Amino acid sequence: MKPLTLKLKKQLRFRLDGSFLSVNNFKNISEFKKFKIVYGNKLHNISQFFSISGQDIKNIIIKSSTNKIDNIGYKMKNMSITVYGNVGNSFGKEMVSGNLYVHGNALDYVGSGIVNGIIHVYGNTGNYLGGKPVGKNEGVVDGVIYVHGNVGDHSIQRMRRGIIVINGNIGDYCCKDMISGSVLIKGVIGENFCDGIKRGTIVTTQRKIICNYINTNKVNINFFSFFLKKVYELIGRKIFPEKFNLQRFYCREDNESLSEIFLISK
Amino acid sequence: MIYRGLKIDDTFAEAFNMKASRIIVTADNKKWAKNACISFTGFATSVIACGIEAGIEKELNSNMTPDGRPGYSILLFSMSRSQLEKQLETRVGQCLLTCPTTAVFSGMESEDIIPLGKNLRYFGDGHQISKKIDGKRFWRIPVMDGEFLCEETTSRVPAIGGGNLLILSTNRKSCLLACETAIESMKNLENIITPFPGGVVRSGSKVGSKYKSLIASTNDAFCPTLHGVTKSKLTKNTGCVLEIVINGLAAKDIALATKIGIDSIAGSKVKKDIVAISAGNYGGKLGQHRFYLKKIIK
Repeated sequence: MKPLTLKLKKQLRFRLDGSFLSVNNFKNISEFKKFKIVYGNKLHNISQFFSISGQDIKNIIIKSSTNKIDNIGYKMKNMSITVYGNVGNSFGKEMVSGNLYVHGNALDYVGSGIVNGIIHVYGNTGNYLGGKPVGKNEGVVDGVIYVHGNVGDHSIQRMRRGIIVINGNIGDYCCKDMISGSVLIKGVIGENFCDGIKRGTIVTTQRKIICNYINTNKVNINFFSFFLKKVYELIGRKIFPEKFNLQRFYCREDNESLSEIFLISK
Repeated sequence: MIYRGLKIDDTFAEAFNMKASRIIVTADNKKWAKNACISFTGFATSVIACGIEAGIEKELNSNMTPDGRPGYSILLFSMSRSQLEKQLETRVGQCLLTCPTTAVFSGMESEDIIPLGKNLRYFGDGHQISKKIDGKRFWRIPVMDGEFLCEETTSRVPAIGGGNLLILSTNRKSCLLACETAIESMKNLENIITPFPGGVVRSGSKVGSKYKSLIASTNDAFCPTLHGVTKSKLTKNTGCVLEIVINGLAAKDIALATKIGIDSIAGSKVKKDIVAISAGNYGGKLGQHRFYLKKIIK
């Protein structure tokens, strides 16, 4: 079965809620085609916005997407959605399982409240990546988020588990109140990083964030190479150089945090 | 029946339903991985008194292990879930956690989950770190050489234990050589282990004893020293009988190992001293599986 391909026909004037792709559990393509979506203050046929081809409703490709389409992959289960173009807010919000790809940029709240699955963003994202959804107390519950570009401010709030990999830079006030999980950042880290962190692992090349941590003795940590290997398998690419020096910093001196930082240097 | 110059008795090996689990042990090099595995599989020959039957399944190269280091896979067999869980946890704690540079991972996946490092993590005294990667949870426990990495759980699958092969020879030297040849040929077969020392057992047993407190006693029918004294199954010229016990995940694995073992003996120089190849059973009354030698070698 060919993947269901939706190509945006026209520029959107209003915001479009893209959650209909993942929350309606369509049984077949004809049911999908009959579905009506809200645009502005009216109901419209999907075919008014998208040219539709293919049948596999569990494997969707969106072409010519714009940042006016929000909530793509909302509460998505066992599906794959690939987007060419930009996406709006809340991409992969509260996603349960499956794969989400965007070959473009995303606005705010990417992977907010993600429970499992993998989100690949091959561009930049706005603020609040892995942020707390309204009414929830944890940002990322589990799962993997990979961002090839840069990430905005206030990202990764109260992360519980999971892995977030950022190939570019990250803004200010990120990783606030982190409970656990792993965050790998290749680029520059903004101000007030990791405020109130409890546990969790940060892998970085930035020396400035280690100032409050205890430099532990140099030992062979087999886990790290195993961990990197697994992460690279999940995101499908390598982000750190093949050879590097590794230093482990553990326990923050200013509070009782049991978080750790792996500092990668040449 | 004569098979490639070997006399094959018209009998069957009687085997039992068991539960099995596989773990993968890695270390910085093969030497330490093997040290850990030898220790882990020590005193694990028979469920009668050891709790479990365990053995090294095969050697794994760096590209075959989860963490890219050399290692071995180990299979554990038990009659009950509680014994398997208890023995696994005890042995990982005392033999793998203690051994320098090692890490341990689950080697199989099924819906029946049993703890691997789940409770061992408390050894970290609050400094243990959990990492969930791709749906699997791992524990990092700080130890004096760095960290001990272990997967939280492994799986348990139905298996078969007690497949066997009896090698009857005119003398002990050639009987031992024949067993060594057979074991060597089974060495890297997947899904089976031969849990006894060097894969060979000399104290084959029968059910019951003249002493009421014993549930098993020596298999006098195959003891050369009792030929003529008890109801012997040996010919006059048999001077030694050794047994190879094979536990496997499936009947086809045991049958394949048995066939490969017989073939290797048939192709060896010691064949001339082998009186017969036989198998041990309890009349088919106790075990759920029968491995007929004639069917296997066809």
